[in-house]
Amino acid sequence: MRLAKYVKFREEKFGGVLFETRSEKVFTLNPTATAVVREIQAGADEQLIVGRLEARFADGGGAIAGDVAALIADLRQRGLVEG
Amino acid sequence: MPELATDPGGAPEVAAEGVGAAESEDLAAPLYVAWQITNECNLACLHCIEESGPGKAFDDELDEAQVFAVLDELLAHEVPYVSFSGGEPMLHPQFFRMVEHLCAGGAQLKVETNGHYLTPENCARLKAAGVKAVQVSLDGASAGTFNRMRVRGSFDTTRAGIANLRSAGVPIEINFSPARFNLKEIGTVVDLAHELGAYSFYTGRTMYTGNAVKAWRHLEVSDEQYAAFFDALRAKAAEYRGRMRVYFHEAGLLEELRYRLQHPAALLIVLPNGLVKLINALPFICGDFRRQPLAEIWANFRRAWHDPRVAQFVDDLAADPGRTKILHDWIHL
Repeated sequence: MRLAKYVKFREEKFGGVLFETRSEKVFTLNPTATAVVREIQAGADEQLIVGRLEARFADGGGAIAGDVAALIADLRQRGLVEG
Repeated sequence: MPELATDPGGAPEVAAEGVGAAESEDLAAPLYVAWQITNECNLACLHCIEESGPGKAFDDELDEAQVFAVLDELLAHEVPYVSFSGGEPMLHPQFFRMVEHLCAGGAQLKVETNGHYLTPENCARLKAAGVKAVQVSLDGASAGTFNRMRVRGSFDTTRAGIANLRSAGVPIEINFSPARFNLKEIGTVVDLAHELGAYSFYTGRTMYTGNAVKAWRHLEVSDEQYAAFFDALRAKAAEYRGRMRVYFHEAGLLEELRYRLQHPAALLIVLPNGLVKLINALPFICGDFRRQPLAEIWANFRRAWHDPRVAQFVDDLAADPGRTKILHDWIHL
């Protein structure tokens, strides 16, 4: 899994932005979504991302796994993530 | 509980579109820098906003050291998207070094060209550098129409250049500027763009400024003609959906500027001498790369949109649309 070829990511005070330069669309991310995208850019797979966020936020209920899966599905559907 | 949302506190979704969708007030740096790297051009197009042409390079265009200092500033601030235009950008003496430096630094680059220097060798070099796209201006589907708009230009050379891009594997965008004498070819031009391998097609309204002021009697398009033009584009957008994006900017200048007053795009327009414009359609200058770092220019850009002279100029445009002809009488904010 990686950011799509024409997608650029930049961190901001409010979180981050994804810029899909072929369609010239910009997507804003809150801090947690930014944390996920940062991990994607670093080459982490979904399982690893969930593990890291669960450790960081002490999530015992499994909500993080669902949120991460939903976000990644959304990013894929929009063509922002591939592989 | 962390929330995965684009809007902190909102539902988990990714949203927002367009360079203006992320409010420039909230961003640490621009998302897009449109850099007119030289005003020199081999052509002298009827409608050229910049009044470019042979011998029209500014006397004070950035020198080599200044150019690379700007590039390094853009890379240091992680500006994700840059375009090089002109004039004809491929005439800039450092053009390929600039392309290669920026692409190697991780920014995505679009080159906007008239297509006359797209030799197989140059296209191979653009491909090797990794440009995001090359946008070529194609203002007609025939030599007669194209050559009338693109004074000193050659339809056949441009078409051959686009074919060279395709052979080299460089993503192609086509841009079309409407005039009363080429409107009727819009459907054919869109078809030609697809035939030539473009993935995107762009058009909008031709502005009454620059060379167009002198040539307006040849260029002016009536409201009725524009209505038919945009109807044709809607049909073409539907026809090519999923194969080629057909973008057309239907809003008039005033409507666009009023929107931008409330929602400035995170976009800097850089002139060949390093001056930075607030937006291309207004005469306001909000920075100077020869004297200011990007962070200072970006802060001034955001302040400048609130300057009452900007809103006043837009209001004045409503009363006198012809004021666009003084866009080159720069006003420093």
